[in-house]
Amino acid sequence: MSRILLAFRTFFAILFGRTLPPEASSLSPRPRVPPSPAPTPAAPPPPSPAYALQLLAILQRDARLLDFLMEDIASYEDDQIGAAVRSLHDQARDALTRYLSLQPVIDGVEGAYTRSAAGDPAAVKFIGNVPAGKPEGGVLRHKGWRAAKVDLPALNPKQDASIIAPAEIEIE
Amino acid sequence: MEPRYVIGIDLGTTNSALSYVEYQPDADPFALPKVEQLGIPQLVNPAEVREEGLLPSFLYVPGTTDFPAGSTALPWDAQPDVVVGRLAQKRGAENAGRLVSSAKSWLSHGGVDRTAPILPFRAPEGVPRFSPVEASRRYLEHLRRAWDSGMPDAPFIDQQVLVTVPASFDAVARELTLKAAEQAGYGNITLLEEPQAAFYAWIERHPDWRERVHVGDLILVVDIGGGTTDFTLIAVTQKGGELALDRVAVGEHLLLGGDNIDLALARIVADQLTQKGSKIDTLQLQALWNNCRTAKEKLLEPGSKKDEEPVTILGKGTGVVGGTIKARLQRADLEKLLLDGFLPAVSSHDMPARQRRTGLQELGLPYAADAAMTRHMARFLRQQASSAEQGGVRRGPSGLACPTHVLFNGGVLNARLIRERLLGVLNSWLGEEGLPPVQPLSGEDLMRAVSRGAAYYGLARRGRGVRIHGGVPRTYYVGIETAMPSVPGLPAPLKALTVVPFGMEEGTDLRIPNREFGLVVGEPAEFRFFTSAVRKNDQAGHLIEDYGDDLQELAPMEVNLPAQQDAADIVPVSFETVVTETGMLQLWCVARDGRRWKLEFNVRERVEG
Repeated sequence: MSRILLAFRTFFAILFGRTLPPEASSLSPRPRVPPSPAPTPAAPPPPSPAYALQLLAILQRDARLLDFLMEDIASYEDDQIGAAVRSLHDQARDALTRYLSLQPVIDGVEGAYTRSAAGDPAAVKFIGNVPAGKPEGGVLRHKGWRAAKVDLPALNPKQDASIIAPAEIEIE
Repeated sequence: MEPRYVIGIDLGTTNSALSYVEYQPDADPFALPKVEQLGIPQLVNPAEVREEGLLPSFLYVPGTTDFPAGSTALPWDAQPDVVVGRLAQKRGAENAGRLVSSAKSWLSHGGVDRTAPILPFRAPEGVPRFSPVEASRRYLEHLRRAWDSGMPDAPFIDQQVLVTVPASFDAVARELTLKAAEQAGYGNITLLEEPQAAFYAWIERHPDWRERVHVGDLILVVDIGGGTTDFTLIAVTQKGGELALDRVAVGEHLLLGGDNIDLALARIVADQLTQKGSKIDTLQLQALWNNCRTAKEKLLEPGSKKDEEPVTILGKGTGVVGGTIKARLQRADLEKLLLDGFLPAVSSHDMPARQRRTGLQELGLPYAADAAMTRHMARFLRQQASSAEQGGVRRGPSGLACPTHVLFNGGVLNARLIRERLLGVLNSWLGEEGLPPVQPLSGEDLMRAVSRGAAYYGLARRGRGVRIHGGVPRTYYVGIETAMPSVPGLPAPLKALTVVPFGMEEGTDLRIPNREFGLVVGEPAEFRFFTSAVRKNDQAGHLIEDYGDDLQELAPMEVNLPAQQDAADIVPVSFETVVTETGMLQLWCVARDGRRWKLEFNVRERVEG
């Protein structure tokens, strides 16, 4: 459509209050939209306690972890505690490695000099005489832990997640 | 459709496994076929399905209070009525009344009706029960579903399937296994004896096996699993210039295995605890049983120098530390139990103690009365002496069958102490016969060899690889009452007619000559049926008297001839024996005009009798 024709059509459309031809609206200056306030990031939903409790339930089921942590062991001999812990320790490690595949953050030798690669303070923490800038490296004191894979069973939404371990009743 | 895979299934007493190998028609015949193990998805905890290499052969019948709703779902079944596998085993330890275990042993137990719902054996009133056949069906079905979910492109039903059975399984147990497989939706299946499968697995791992064994060699396969012990002899012979393998003897079915050892250890430790004043209950004994198994394995690990291994029973309530009972499994106790109790150094003339027959016996599994595995081994090798020359059995001067090689199978034999003891005892016997010691054939995964070997054998049946010739591992007889004036209070003496000679080959049939029976039309006729693993030289049609303890009675065989209007009341028939290509034994009644009726096992009658 020629621009002259468009000018006329637009002129009459404005005069008689009709809608502008679409071609005209692309030429007309953009209407000013009042700036909307920058969207505030939605508060992250509170983390579902179900997943935290699930891991706890697994460690309790397979390794009696909750029983152990909640028991007052002050009065027992080291010997007695040692006997229980030896067995709990095996079971807890089995359970953990079954559901998480654990790796060090830095696969090095503790006590040896290591170049620091990562700049993420959550992954690598510098301690001691830390210089002003990012340090080149230092002595690896702790290799760190990383869950390379998490393989937890799906949660049953119908199940009450707050039950960490069921009560047991024996019929004799 | 041509099967793409050969599937080997080890339906074990305590664990089952599935191996498979792809069939490649144009593969290099000397290349090693690649046998793989299928991961079996199963419930390991409520609402948690995980793949494991083995499927524990346990079935749990859940009640309403056992598991949260929906938490027993499997990828292929949202609401199964039973739980099979690891979770069944775990939960069953807490509630034994709903647990079916050792279904395979029940399947081979002639003293009960194996098609009747009798398991769980000690289930309280109101718990649904399953027959040993049905329980086996459930395990086989689980394996089929696991395959179909893991290999959607190659439906199970189209593949060639081998299911292994103990060599000592009699014809009834084999047929019931086959029936369970059919009910589980298996199409194309063949039964294979476990020790043979274990040997195939060894061949599969050793492509140079022809250089390792020679003509005249005799291989003893010792298979000690969780619940059973089995002995088999395989002879290396020559056929048409090629090395051939003949399975020449199988032992009796012994309900004796690793579980017996672990339970005995738990009892020893429990006794020590009682002396110190801590009593333990049934559930704790169960935990102790498991912990003793772990402790035993640790003490028997190669290189372990420890004198003792702690065995702890954790406290039952929330007081886990306070309630912990400490005990120790001493190496001295373990070695004494193994070397004196289960594997005593006996002479080759030392026979196992016979089961004491009391008038009233508690019904249950017929566990071996003598726990000494070495005595059972002595009897097995001695039995071969009493039978006359059977092709290829190497013997010493005293007649004892003298193996040149030993192949071990079953988890118990992972322990070097046990293997060495068995070898030591065997070598002392060979020394007495003036023969050199045996050579162990090693290098196998003892837990999975059977299913691997079964898959390999499937290939062998299709032309790739060597095949062990076996034939029927026993002689079978039909009982015939002698015509004599009856004596009050004494049953008429019974003679035994040989209907299946030892070693009758797969895919053959034979007619029993010179003997006809008059069968009454329209009512079931029953034959008493006997078997022997010892008498190997009775030919078809031989009539045996005074057989003593050599023969064991099986479930009777039954035939029902439909009445026909024009037929006479009594039809003269003779027996015909068929051993199918898949190793199944069939007995037929054949009339003079060629009509045939198959004899079926009557599993029910036996129990009442």
